[in-house]
Amino acid sequence: MDQQNCFSPKSSSPRRIIQDSSTGTLKTKISLGQKYPQIINSGPFYLVKEPPEKNKLTASTNMLQYYGLEHTYNKFNSKKVKEQLSSFLPTLPCVVDGPGVIDNSSLRSVIDKPPICGKELVSLSSLQLAGFRLHPNVPLPEKYRILNSTPTRKHKKKDKKHKYDNNIVQDVSASGDQPDIHSEKKHKKGKRHDDDKERKKRKKEKKRKKQSKHSPDHPSSISETP
Amino acid sequence: MSENTLESMENQLELFIENIRQIGIIVSDFQPQGQAVLNQKIQTLISDLQKIDKYRSKIEGISIPLAVCTDYIDQGRNPQLYTKDCIEKALYKNEETKGKIDMYRKFKANLLVELQQNFPHEINKYRSLEKFYNTKQE
Repeated sequence: MDQQNCFSPKSSSPRRIIQDSSTGTLKTKISLGQKYPQIINSGPFYLVKEPPEKNKLTASTNMLQYYGLEHTYNKFNSKKVKEQLSSFLPTLPCVVDGPGVIDNSSLRSVIDKPPICGKELVSLSSLQLAGFRLHPNVPLPEKYRILNSTPTRKHKKKDKKHKYDNNIVQDVSASGDQPDIHSEKKHKKGKRHDDDKERKKRKKEKKRKKQSKHSPDHPSSISETP
Repeated sequence: MSENTLESMENQLELFIENIRQIGIIVSDFQPQGQAVLNQKIQTLISDLQKIDKYRSKIEGISIPLAVCTDYIDQGRNPQLYTKDCIEKALYKNEETKGKIDMYRKFKANLLVELQQNFPHEINKYRSLEKFYNTKQE
């Protein structure tokens, strides 16, 4: 029997046998003193600790897909979101695009000074309604006139775009300022068209002259006749 | 809280705002015969407020970031821009972190290959240790 195989726990030199082994066995100690047995490493990697538990959800997964936000992403990414608040609240009758601090209608003021809640809302009696009696022909104070102003909405139409372009060309030709490239092209086209017209006119006049020369009514033809 | 509750509350708020707008018109160009209509509108205003108040108990658990109120709505800006920004930032961070994770994975694989060539015994030990921890976690 080989010396290594006949190793027993009572033998005097077990360390030498382990050092010679090439199986890569781990040196671990198990402490049983506590509630649950703990494994204490004592191998070559004395700094290696038990790795933290792996999270099921990490950034290697597509989070938008995981939380079902793909539709929202496509919704906002496919079209340009308008900057104004009125485009988000199109049904509101008043102008809401300005800062709320101006007319004291900011949400910040509601957060800072919360409204009185908890009181029951009761319909007004006829006596209480008398407090709301108004008088005709009394002008409304300036600050309350904001309510009446309605936002002007731009309606874009494709046909109008064409009209607008023509207007630009007309304006540019009228003002004589330097036009942009697009309108310059149109302007050149227009010029070319005018030149053609002039040429045609000249040709017509020449033809007329020629015809009139050969016609018997022409003075030169008369003079030539004996 | 359902989608219908939110929608009906939205409709109720719109009705309330419309009523206020009509009151504004009546008041700005007040005629003597308009008093009765004004009184009726004021009563409608109160009944609308009562209806809106009933929605308070139905609508709970909606948390709105403070920045949406102060930086967007108060400034007259579309709050959908906030949502758009958040989604874009989340996507960017997601991609960035995924890139880092992938790079670390590649680095680990390459390092193990190199270490395997130079320290085969130690890496075998390390691998068996890693395997042990993985089975323990499972």
